[in-house]
Amino acid sequence: MISSLKRIIAIGRNTLTEAVRQRVLSVLLIFGLVMVACSVFFSKLLIDEQIKFVKDFGCGAIGLFGFAIALLSTAQLIPQELHNRTIYTILAKPVRRVEFLLGKFLGVVLLLSLSVMLMSIAFAGALYWQEWQGIDSTQIGYDQRTPHWQSSPDMVNMYQRDILEIENQVRDPQLIEAILLIFAKLVMTSGIALLISTFATSSIFTIVTTFMIYLIGHMETVARQVWLGRGAETTLYQSGFLGILSLLIPDMNSFTIVDEILAGNRVPWAHTFNLLGYAGVYLIVLLALSEISFRYREL
Amino acid sequence: MNTTLPLWFRLRRAFFFALLLGLWAPVKIVWEQHIAHEQDLLRYHDVPMTRELRDELGQGLTIGMLSGMRSVVADLVWLNVTVAWEDEQWFKMEGYINLCTSLQPRSITFWDIGGWQLAWNASVSAMYDRKQPDPMKRLKASRFWIQKGLEVYLRGIENNPEHFDMWAATARLYEQRLGDYEKAAYYYEQASLRPDALAFYERFPAIMYGKAGDDQAAFAAWTRLWNRLTPEQRLEKQHQLGAWQYAAIRKLEDKLSIPKEKRVFPN
Amino acid sequence: MVALMKISVMDTSASPAFAVETIGLTKRYPLSWKRKIVLALDHLDLQIRPGEVFGLLGPNGSGKSTTLKLLLGLAIPSEGEARIFGLPPDSLEARARVGFLPENPYFYAFLTGDETLRFYGKLCGVTGAKLEKRIEELIDLVGLQNGRERPLRSYSKGMLQRIGLAQALIHDPDLLFLDEPTAGVDPLGSSQIRDLILRLKKMGKTVVFSSHLLEQVQEVADRVAIFSLGKKALEGSLEAMLVENQSTQINLPAELSAEQQERVRQLLVQAGVGAAEIRFTRPHLSLEQLYLRTIQKAPDANPPTHPRP
Repeated sequence: MISSLKRIIAIGRNTLTEAVRQRVLSVLLIFGLVMVACSVFFSKLLIDEQIKFVKDFGCGAIGLFGFAIALLSTAQLIPQELHNRTIYTILAKPVRRVEFLLGKFLGVVLLLSLSVMLMSIAFAGALYWQEWQGIDSTQIGYDQRTPHWQSSPDMVNMYQRDILEIENQVRDPQLIEAILLIFAKLVMTSGIALLISTFATSSIFTIVTTFMIYLIGHMETVARQVWLGRGAETTLYQSGFLGILSLLIPDMNSFTIVDEILAGNRVPWAHTFNLLGYAGVYLIVLLALSEISFRYREL
Repeated sequence: MNTTLPLWFRLRRAFFFALLLGLWAPVKIVWEQHIAHEQDLLRYHDVPMTRELRDELGQGLTIGMLSGMRSVVADLVWLNVTVAWEDEQWFKMEGYINLCTSLQPRSITFWDIGGWQLAWNASVSAMYDRKQPDPMKRLKASRFWIQKGLEVYLRGIENNPEHFDMWAATARLYEQRLGDYEKAAYYYEQASLRPDALAFYERFPAIMYGKAGDDQAAFAAWTRLWNRLTPEQRLEKQHQLGAWQYAAIRKLEDKLSIPKEKRVFPN
Repeated sequence: MVALMKISVMDTSASPAFAVETIGLTKRYPLSWKRKIVLALDHLDLQIRPGEVFGLLGPNGSGKSTTLKLLLGLAIPSEGEARIFGLPPDSLEARARVGFLPENPYFYAFLTGDETLRFYGKLCGVTGAKLEKRIEELIDLVGLQNGRERPLRSYSKGMLQRIGLAQALIHDPDLLFLDEPTAGVDPLGSSQIRDLILRLKKMGKTVVFSSHLLEQVQEVADRVAIFSLGKKALEGSLEAMLVENQSTQINLPAELSAEQQERVRQLLVQAGVGAAEIRFTRPHLSLEQLYLRTIQKAPDANPPTHPRP
């Protein structure tokens, strides 16, 4: 069991090393540029707007770049191994197929963790810069409107309220929940791509199919509600179609609760854990399906 | 092929696949329904993708919406609000505000700034519109935009009743744009009762009643606040700079000539 | 994970006297879109004893690679069974005793030579000081001293083949499968690989390799099997198969004059050999032998390993 785990970790680390040395992470430089562009471009907006925009675009970009990394690197995992024939050398060693599969997936998860972590740091940087800008311009605003406003306790009170409001928006501990949920969604996407790549014959097929499932996953909520009879009337044929959709496709839309967190609404940790648990169990199912599919695959 | 092997074994990949999916699917549906139920309780409502919404957003933004980028899409639409503001295209601006607030009904920023854009910027611009020589018509137009801003705030409250900011914004509008202090007092009071409300909102109702000239109500409001304090807090307040309640109550007691036995401060 | 039911087609108590044994091993690939089935390997019976060097010969697509894949458990047989030291090929126990070098390997282009061997060592459960010692030995054995710190994407084909051999040997296996070990390698490198195979034989390893270059096989293999269209067409020891029983060759270190030839001929006629069947020729060097002699005369100008770019 422990030797099995060691092999999985060895394969995972190897996958991560390959990806890092192939400069996959240099994609993140573009992310950095997006963050800087956001901060500069939105500087003509009101402070509240700026903060909302940096949050939305920051998390949106983490999701988007993470999605690209998850999709492209997972879809490449098995085809590249087959193309380089390295899969034969690994499986000829005392390594089980499932260990190979899990090791490869671990590599992608490590790569995703690293990317999301780096992007989050850049995101936090952009937010703090925004806070500093906001406080600065608030003070200038007070100075321009009322000279010597510091001597009026009421004005000081108001100023402090404004600063507090900015700080509350920027230093929202709930952003950790948002990042975790984005990450969970990315890992789930990776799991779907892995499953498809265990029987796909080309990585293009994997990429296109995973992308479709990702999109449909955002409409699964609606399909499920209609299928369960909470909405429009359906014919038998439609209902069957929606049923299959609801039973097979993961619900990606629930994760858009991230928008709520970004808008400053309170989402309790219990709900976040519920979603993370859902993603985790779904991932286990996806990995088990991948295992079944890969076990019987002719290499 | 090999006819000696049973059918399920020849199709074992598909067999195990179907077995696992069959076990998972019901759990999945129940779990997803549970998540949806929790999100309903959180008042998190998804925006259904209608044909009208698709037409309004255009192809690119629709795909963005469908791939779970709702807030980014809403932000991109919101940029038009700023453009319309600079161009003083008020009706256009109102349209964009309504679109954005319906895309993200739980974003306080959109409601807050949207209402302010209409009730202040649009309204003031209409008041001093050089193209309109008739002052009555200017006043009417100005009032029209204040009303629009108020509508935005009230819809904001409807969608976010627990959020003190929405109540406070409405109160400000009544106070500063409509001069309706009684209403302003009500909304400030509501704001002060919400969680996380800033502490000083609690004295605003009393101040509003004072501005409205309703000394009785103002006195009642101040007294209510005073009675909420512990003896230690009261002592502290009396020595504080600008001890609002203390000063206001004494003043109103004199003004309303409240009998000694009913006064908060008999001396 | 789902438990797999194993259906045994034949008696599982196969004799462990063989390093490799196959009985009726068959592989069919269905081409579903054409509703056709390709028979890649047709009822192969093979027995390779420990310590043998065994060559698999045949044109491309004749079933050599399929055989190796089946022996490594990379493909699942449609019929029949294969055994490695009496064990099923997909068992970890079997694979712990097997090393494999695939055809034209690329490996992980961004790892260095040392990192590559370290990775494969970890997969086999070799770790720590033992692993480092083993890496030193193997680098020496395959002669890759100048490739240890370089990423594999800067390797030449011959170097890749040698690192491939080293990774196949990392866990000191008893049995080696080499798929086209000399394909695409220059003659010098290819002769080094041949020497290596002979050294492995001396160390007591069993080596099974495939090739379509017959001369190479001839030099190292004890026995060969020739494949054609998925079937084993011929099998046996080279000694037995290649000797032409109807003729005798006499080698002399000197050239015979016409007069000397005549005298030898008369002696042979006296011994009862028909005069018309006696021919005198001078032995030819193969071009490869000539090439290797030339290169080895000037070793400094052509170091055996590739210089740093």
